[in-house]
Formats: sequence, C-alpha cells, structure tokens
Amino acid sequence: MSKLLLSISLGLFLTFNGFSTTVNQSLYIITDSMLTVDSAKVPYITFNETPIYNQRNPIINLIQGDTLDLWVFNTDTVLHEFVIKGVSSVISISANDSTFLQTVFSTKGSYIYHDPSEFPKNTYLGLAGMIVVKNHSFSCFYWNIKEHNSDWNNQLFLGGTVNWSQYDPKYFTINSVSNPNINGDTIARITGQVGETLFLYITNTGQSIHSMHFHGYHATIKYSSKSPAHLNREKDTFPIYPMETLILKIVPDKEGEYPLHDHNLVAVTGNNMYPNGMFTTILIHP
Amino acid sequence: MMRNIILLTGTFFLLLSVSAQQITNTFIFSKMDIAPQHTLWDGNQTMLMGFTPLMGSPIDIPGPTLRYTEGDSVQLQLRNMSQGASHTIHLHGLDVNQWNDGVPHLSWEVGHNETKSYYFKAPHPGTYLYHCHFTSSLHVQAGMYGLLIVDAQNPNETWDGGYSFHKDFAWMTSELDTIWHSDSIINYPHDTTTYMRLLPDYNPQYFLVNGRSEQELIDTNTAAIVAKANEIVLLRIANIGYYGNRFHFPMHLNARIISSDGRPLPSIEITDTLEVLPGERYQVLLQSTIEIMDSISVKYFNLNTQNIENTQMVPVNISGFISSVDDLSEDSHIYPNPTNGKLNLVNVKGKINIYDSFGKLILESTLNTTEENIDVSHLNSGVYFIKTTNKNFKFFKL
Repeated sequence: MSKLLLSISLGLFLTFNGFSTTVNQSLYIITDSMLTVDSAKVPYITFNETPIYNQRNPIINLIQGDTLDLWVFNTDTVLHEFVIKGVSSVISISANDSTFLQTVFSTKGSYIYHDPSEFPKNTYLGLAGMIVVKNHSFSCFYWNIKEHNSDWNNQLFLGGTVNWSQYDPKYFTINSVSNPNINGDTIARITGQVGETLFLYITNTGQSIHSMHFHGYHATIKYSSKSPAHLNREKDTFPIYPMETLILKIVPDKEGEYPLHDHNLVAVTGNNMYPNGMFTTILIHP
Repeated sequence: MMRNIILLTGTFFLLLSVSAQQITNTFIFSKMDIAPQHTLWDGNQTMLMGFTPLMGSPIDIPGPTLRYTEGDSVQLQLRNMSQGASHTIHLHGLDVNQWNDGVPHLSWEVGHNETKSYYFKAPHPGTYLYHCHFTSSLHVQAGMYGLLIVDAQNPNETWDGGYSFHKDFAWMTSELDTIWHSDSIINYPHDTTTYMRLLPDYNPQYFLVNGRSEQELIDTNTAAIVAKANEIVLLRIANIGYYGNRFHFPMHLNARIISSDGRPLPSIEITDTLEVLPGERYQVLLQSTIEIMDSISVKYFNLNTQNIENTQMVPVNISGFISSVDDLSEDSHIYPNPTNGKLNLVNVKGKINIYDSFGKLILESTLNTTEENIDVSHLNSGVYFIKTTNKNFKFFKL
C-alpha cells in the first residue's frame, strides 16, 4: 500500500474559539447500488466512512481551523481519483490501494470532494460528497443534491458511453433519497423554532441545474461558490449549478410546516411519478 | 402595459370590518377546457386548465394578474369549476402562513364546485406569482399560474425609498408540452385517495413570454416594451416554466437588476445578461437615452443539458421623444385617501381619467393648476384608479 502525504495550507491559519483540532476521517470507495424511491436498484458507487457500503456519501463536518487527516481507500478493481474541489490537487488511487491527505481548513465554507476521473462519469455515478467548515454552533442541515438516470448508470458500469448533451435524469435525490424519504433524514429535514438561526449547506454533485424553492420563508445567501457577489441576497428560490456549493441562513418568523422543493417541477417526480423527487418540508415549532 | 392585466380581478369590492380594516377581495375561477380551444402561435390548438377572472372567461395563460398594494389585507376566493381535480392557490414568495399556503396535504384543497378563501397580507412590494399546488407538476404545466404584483404605496416607486419609474411591464415565462395537454393526461380521473400521478416525459414544443411566442410577440405587443427616451421602465420577470431563461438586454437599455424574489438586492447589478431559473423573479430597471428599435432575447435552456433549445425575441421600441426625468421629482400626490367626498390632486396637471376596478371609465377631467380637488362623493364604495399623463394613482372611496 502506497502512502501519499500531502500537507496543504489554506492561507492564514485561524482558529475558532480555540477548539480547532485534528479530525481523522476515512473514506472507502465501494461499488454497490442505490435503492430508488420505487425500489429499483441502480448501480452506484460511493465514499463510505467504514468498509460497509452506504448509498449516501458522508458529510465531513469541521470547525474553521481544523486539520483534516484523511485516508481514502479504493476497494474497487479500477483506478479512481480524489480531489477536494478548489482545495487540493488530484490524487490517483490504484485499485486496492489508498492515499493520505492532510489539509488545514482555515476558510469556512462548503466544499465538494469527489472523483474527477473521466469527469463527469465517476462523480455522476456517486463519488461526490461534502465537507463543511464552519465557525458557529447554530443548528445546521445538509443537502447533497443529485439526479440519476438508471439506464445511464447501467450503461456506464458496463463500460459503455453516454452522450452528456442528451442527459435526461429520472430520479432526483437529496442525500441519495427522494420524497417521501427525505423527511426521515434528520440532517436533511430542517427543523427548528421561531426566531432560531438555522443554516442549510447545499452541494449539487449532479449534472443538472436545480432551483430550490422555500415556502413560508425567505433565506439569506451566506456563501455561493459560483456567484460570490450574491452574498446576502434574500430570496425564496435558489438556483444551484452543477458542482456548486451554497450556504443559506434561515431565521423563521412563524411556526408551521412548509415545502422545500425543486421548482423545476419535473424534478419533484421519481421515474415520472409525482411527487417522488426533490421535495421535503421544513418544520418550525413555536 | 402587459397584456391581460386584470387589476384585482373578478368581483372586487371594499369591505369595512368592525375594526375598519380594509380587506381587498378578489374572486377567481379554476376551470378546464373540454376540448382543445387555446390557439398557439402556429395555429395548433390545445387544452388548458387554468384560472379565469370570470366564470365565462376563456382560459388563457398566464391567468389573470393579481395586483395589490403594500399592506393590503387580501381575501382571495377560488371557485373550482374544473369538473374533476381539486385545486389550490399557492402564493409563491409571499411567505403566508401554513393554512393559506395552498399546499393540499399541509392545509386544504378546493374540490369541484367548492368556493374557499385564502387570507394574506401583502407586506413587501415586488413581483410574485401564484399557481396551483395540487399535483403541481401537472397542473402548473396545464396552465394554472399567473403573476401577483404588490405595488408600493407610491405606485411609481419600486418600494419605499427605492427607485422611481415611469411605467412597468411584466413578463411571465413558461413552456408548453402539448403531450401534457392531451385529454388523457390533463383530464385524468380525479382520485381522492392519492396525490400520486404518473406523468409523461417533458419535451416542450412551445416557449412562451406571457403565454405567447414567435410572431405573436411581435404582432400582438403582448410583452413589447414601448417607452420614450429617458423614461425609466421597470421590467418584472417571473419564470414559472421548467427551463432556465437567459435574458439579453440591448446595451442601450442600460439594464440594472435591482431586486429578486420580492426583496431589494444588497447592491444593484449592472449587466446585459440575466438568468432566471424556475420559480425566481427579478425586477430590472431599463432606461435608454436614445431612440432604439430592438429586441430583448429570451433563451430557454434545458436544466439537464444546459443546451439552449429555443430563443424568443420581445420587441423594444424606445421613441426619440424626450421625456423629462425631472417629472419624477415632482411631488405629485393625492389626498385624503381613503376619501368620502373631495379628492385633492397636487402637482397633477392635464387630462385625468378615473376608472373603477373593472376598468370602466367613470370620470374625466382636466386639471390646470398645481392643486385641485374633484368631487367623488357620488361614487360607490370601492377602489378606483386615476390615470394621468405621467403618473397613476389608486384611491379608496368609503
């Protein structure tokens, strides 16, 4: 097993409340399948925190100033690559090999880690997750949004090719599940109280543009990797482009349960069935 | 102004509650065509499901524009005459409470032959939209959507302390896939036991601005921007389609993006290109200092492939007659409002017309001095609109 040590400094090292520390994390590349909302099994490949497969890529939570010591194990039979977009260089990982990456995260934000090999193939097939770096202790929720075409997954896993200019996804997921299962995911389903400050971290690791609409509340853009100038815009609908990350702040002014969904209303379907797509609710208590 | 605006549509009257709070009442209908009767730009006809201001009105897309003033308390009544499916009205962007949000499984729906009311306040001036949220993917594509505009107290200002403008135009963009409008899809048997619905693939053939496209946009002036040099135009844009829109403004229009989703931007954006994604709204100020005859292009891009699949051109006609920007600085206003007798008009000169809420001309007059009053005591209680040569007002007769 080869070992590659990378130490990456992200500018001035800043600590948050003196609590920054070294976080040890492992990611195992495992091929299996994704269970869809209509119980179909679609070939899929993800990063996993343990050698046990999970169709949801882990969300790595850090405090600003933390050092991430990350091992990535490739349990697949083919070469994969690993990169933290905009942070690290691309590292190749041979089949049944591993790599080590040490990164200091001195800048808060939301980052995408993924396999960029044959882009967008391996990212599309599931190898893409989120790293969150924050400097606060407010309640946080996380969406890794993505869409899928099961025929394409089958074809790509068989070594075939697809025409990305004709991409036509059929399943739309948040953290790898669709409505009605998103509300069962406690890190995706936003809950809180009137007046509480809530943060939503979103990454789009799919290939489509999504337009996420909030009922009941406007939210404030606190970070947009694609459009930094949009900082502090107060909106109810938030476009998010492929491989973009977005951080939203919500301070609910009233109680209630309200939908949050993609306003490309095709994306609230699952294999053409309404409403089995990107649809969840926010639940705010008095 | 935009086509098919029906100010505060339907039966419209002023009520005085016990607390003397004004309630603006709007009544609309939901209906469905029984056969293809909506004519598209190429002569093809399709079926629609939509909202109408009157029971006898044909369904058009978008539905009637609902227009209110900041602070209005609104009762919006929906009578469902669509012979089958239930419907709702989602007040998109108004952040109303859960009960009035129009999401069936989180509040309620309006069944066939039922009439129910939504209550809300219109707190933020801006551009919004409304649509049915019952089987929303299908019902929105079927045509159940419209614009909702909240004017500032000063109707020629974007918001209190915001930007002045001479006139406004509103564009609602969408697409239409005729397969979704076929009888077997749009006229599905209503099943009260489930919200689930199998839908076709979405491959629109028609790309719309205010429900029109191609030559219609030129022939009918449905969305055309017509103004004078130096006039400040407020363009309201809302995308209810399932594609992204990329607007390209001619350089001489000096486009400034000032707000989105009913809220001012922290800083204005000066640009000749604006992308508006499904559900988003933007407000753009346009002002040309010279005469131009041009078009604003609207490109429709597929959100999965990002390929541009269609481009519509909306005419822009800025005449060379120079309007004085100083007109806006005059403090023209009316008082008292509401009134039960005399209405004073300050810095309003020239011909004025007063219309009722149905657009019927009620009174004409010509004002010659900086402050004059007119007697409106004979008018019925309700809301009225004053159109002058350079500014419009709205007043309530008690």
